[in-house]
Amino acid sequence: MSERLIVIGGGGAGTAAATIAKRVKPDLHVSVFTEFEDIAYSPCGIPFVHGREIPRFEDLFLSTVERYVADGLDMRMETVVTDIDLDRRIITARNQHEGFDQLVICTGFTWEKPSVPGANLEGLHYVKNIRKAMEFDKLLDEVKRVAVVGATPLGVEMAGNLGHRGLEVDFIDEGPWVLGEVLDPDTAEPVHKSLEERGVTLRLGTKVEGFVGEDHVRAVATSEGELPCDIVIVCLEKIPNTTLAVAAGLEVGTTGGLVVDDHMRTKVPGVYAAGDAIEVPHGLTMLPIRGLTGSHAYAQGRTAAANIAGEDRVYDPVWIPWGLVGGDYTIGGFSIGETLATAMGVPYIVCKGVGVSRARYYPGATRTYVKLLADPTSHKLIGGQVHGGEGVKERCDFLAFVAKRGATIEDLAWMENIYSPPIGALFEPIAIAAQNGLAELRAGKVQASATPAASPAGSGVPA
Amino acid sequence: MSGLIELKQRLREHAEHHLRVAAMEELRGRYPAGTTPPYRDHSGLLWRYGFVPLYRRVPWEVKERAMHALGMTAEGSGWTPPARSPSDPWVPPANLRR
Repeated sequence: MSERLIVIGGGGAGTAAATIAKRVKPDLHVSVFTEFEDIAYSPCGIPFVHGREIPRFEDLFLSTVERYVADGLDMRMETVVTDIDLDRRIITARNQHEGFDQLVICTGFTWEKPSVPGANLEGLHYVKNIRKAMEFDKLLDEVKRVAVVGATPLGVEMAGNLGHRGLEVDFIDEGPWVLGEVLDPDTAEPVHKSLEERGVTLRLGTKVEGFVGEDHVRAVATSEGELPCDIVIVCLEKIPNTTLAVAAGLEVGTTGGLVVDDHMRTKVPGVYAAGDAIEVPHGLTMLPIRGLTGSHAYAQGRTAAANIAGEDRVYDPVWIPWGLVGGDYTIGGFSIGETLATAMGVPYIVCKGVGVSRARYYPGATRTYVKLLADPTSHKLIGGQVHGGEGVKERCDFLAFVAKRGATIEDLAWMENIYSPPIGALFEPIAIAAQNGLAELRAGKVQASATPAASPAGSGVPA
Repeated sequence: MSGLIELKQRLREHAEHHLRVAAMEELRGRYPAGTTPPYRDHSGLLWRYGFVPLYRRVPWEVKERAMHALGMTAEGSGWTPPARSPSDPWVPPANLRR
């Protein structure tokens, strides 16, 4: 009888773990258990269908259940796993016990619910399941005024897209700017402008105190007064869904995510976990973090699969390249920005530069703003943010990779770059930022931040 | 879940929240355009006026050493910090070398 792998969860991590394990070790019997009807679609695309940037929800599907079955996977759709017995190595689903030799837990996340009065009213929506999104999209045709709660990446995408659809949007968050957990205020400013141009009303520095209505929500009660609305979209934090794993006795860390090692192994032999249910260390500090992107979940699932299939695959601590379009404006970054560096007390110097995405004379060229954070002593990159039009994603991917390899601002100041008028300017914006930073350092105009002795004002900005 | 783990989670959550809000207020001073004061109520005064100033007085090197010594980092769970040495070229695994 062949060895059996059970994967719990059909999101990015789960599908990667199942398909890659089967591909690398074809004689493995792989079963995937998911509570949902569908698999292999992109939930990240949902806001853009609501905003009518993408015409149909069907376009978000990447594969079908039948295709997975044809590839030899045992697909258990709409099947909730209710128990894991790690000692007997069985799971329970639909009151049936099923044995496993190896197990991957990819139970994902649930959205944080607001802990205020009225949070159970009808009309509060959470974006996750594509079928619910299809139903919700029909409802959007019947409403005029929407409140989006939480200036998280999903919140920014939902607010911008619903504005684009022509709805009146109140965008509510306690922070002083959008994406306050990752973004710096100088990078946030153009996003605010772009969202407002799409008809979004920013309600920043505003606390949600409750939801008002009899059965259905009709307003959001906030610290700044009541905001009438037809529906609310809640976009707060992603909470690791670890209930099943914790009940089985697996360990969670200080973020609430499952603890795994660099092979995605839990402390129980043959039991792995991956995706939004786990925590992994940040490359700069080695502190565990959670709530990363779909590409991280997929890579973690692949890592688990490779190790299950007998390889020795290590998943590195993360440097988190990220990016998104806020309104019509592209922003991105990697590792940490000034806000997080200041919060953590990490010393840094800042190098800033502005370049263009194509030759200046070539039609369609856009400005690209680069901010690099480096260690004041070693000059190694520790974080940064990029914003503008074209090439933000590629620059953030590149910067995250070279930061992981220990690149310094001197390396970047003298980097090679492509010069071809339609796709790249003579001067690379990253190199411009690094050279500006070095010039400021040579002139003695840069102060390190975050160490009180070095900078009582805490300024890391070139003078 | 053990009470100790829950306590650690809550402490980390509160510490991060108050450090982040304090950082946001500082950053607003540096980049005032387009921002608004973060929402603040009267809760968490001890965190705001006790923990945050104290944390900020301690140099990063000391905090970093303390986090490692107290097991707050991932090394104890089987992770290795990256070498971050640009001078060392990446070497392909032996079975892939031709």
